[in-house]
Amino acid sequence: MEKCGIYLGCNIPFRAPDIEHSFYKVFPALGMEIVDMEGATCCPAWGTAPSFDIDTWLAVSGRNITIAEDKNVDIMTGCNSCFGVMSEAKHLIDHDPARKKTVDKNLALIDRKYKGDSEIYHVSHVLYKNIGIEKIRENVKYTLKQLKIAVQPGCHILWPSEVMAVKEKNSFFPTILKELCEVLGAEVPHYSKLNACCGMGAMRSTDQVRSIGLVKEKLVNMKEEIAPDMIVTTCSSCYLQFDGAQKILKEKGEIDFEIPVFYYTQLLALCMGFDPKNVAAISETPRDAIIQKIQSEARLLN
Amino acid sequence: MAAINLTKMDKEIIQKIIDHGGKGITKCIQCNACASVCPVAKAGFPLYGRLLFRKIQTGHFEEIIEDSSSWACQACNRCTEICPRDAKPFEIVFAFRRIQANELAISTSAFTPLMNLHATGHAVYSEASKELRQKVGLPAVPVTSIANEKAQEEIRTLLDNSPMGELGIF
Repeated sequence: MEKCGIYLGCNIPFRAPDIEHSFYKVFPALGMEIVDMEGATCCPAWGTAPSFDIDTWLAVSGRNITIAEDKNVDIMTGCNSCFGVMSEAKHLIDHDPARKKTVDKNLALIDRKYKGDSEIYHVSHVLYKNIGIEKIRENVKYTLKQLKIAVQPGCHILWPSEVMAVKEKNSFFPTILKELCEVLGAEVPHYSKLNACCGMGAMRSTDQVRSIGLVKEKLVNMKEEIAPDMIVTTCSSCYLQFDGAQKILKEKGEIDFEIPVFYYTQLLALCMGFDPKNVAAISETPRDAIIQKIQSEARLLN
Repeated sequence: MAAINLTKMDKEIIQKIIDHGGKGITKCIQCNACASVCPVAKAGFPLYGRLLFRKIQTGHFEEIIEDSSSWACQACNRCTEICPRDAKPFEIVFAFRRIQANELAISTSAFTPLMNLHATGHAVYSEASKELRQKVGLPAVPVTSIANEKAQEEIRTLLDNSPMGELGIF
């Protein structure tokens, strides 16, 4: 695979476009051409069509998939929710002939045809499986030596493993993101709430107090057990939750610390020497100091 | 222990759950494995997986129809991964959610993302994103449906011709 369709979703292009920009910097530099998916819509998010009618969900996801199929590329998505919604939709369409028939009928209304030949990957899968750890190592300019990372892979990249094209060896002890961070030179210790949910998504919109309660538990656990220099995630929802909730918790006096948060490709782009004004410029929890530290002369590799 | 005698209506509700995608409801043996890993249970919502399934299985549907716990489900699928009966608990929670949604037994805030989806193709959108995008050196709008009238017409055609179109949301 030398090129891949980039499926943006909603949160990345509209709330964290510096993550989007980090894709455009990192992937071509690592030899992966990025192909735009013009006219792609919401995946559709769990709280929309999937909460009302399965066939409508499959039609909207199916339409998005046809955009990649028409360009003969696989799909790569940076948002875990989009990855989960579309992976499950594809699994249902490909394994249930009655559902497939209804998808065909619905997509015929808009002159589209689902063929089923584009695979769905997550950004971290493409980095890990297609580009590979060694290629990343060769392209890093600044090392993260002696910096400690708490990783947050996010739920929808892990479960249900049955529907996913790339699987962890043990989804309750994920290692892909850990390896992707270790190749940058960082230390990535285990912490006991590694696989706990951050409380974002449907829970955040249903009950903000309970949602923030979950992320607080996780933050405190990270801080107590490993005191990380930064949190690194491959989920844009986890990113928004960890970044935004710390500000709320700090203002309420519920935490007395701040840990900078990065989406993985933002950190990778910084290590590759790209300008933080493009790839890591929007956050609630300050990260200027750590960015300066990462891109310092002392960390330059030969 | 006394047997539970389900009425015809109770059995119809179980069938309704199956019809909305929750076919595993008849497999659940109340072992609670799903709840042991469930963020909804952990966060303290009253009607998490196992208990919800119990209420459905034993004919207590009317007392739970307006409970909002199911809307806190993240669809994380930890439950599906570990269920020893392969009941796919997530699918049952979402089947229940679909019945609530189609009976409009839900908070009106659930409709905002849907109306956004119908209007723009995106559930989440804000005009402020234009400035943010330009700040990081990207064009004000991405190549998605947000700037693509044909794509927006396509999404509206799909939604208007779906069962959701009959609910009068759009």
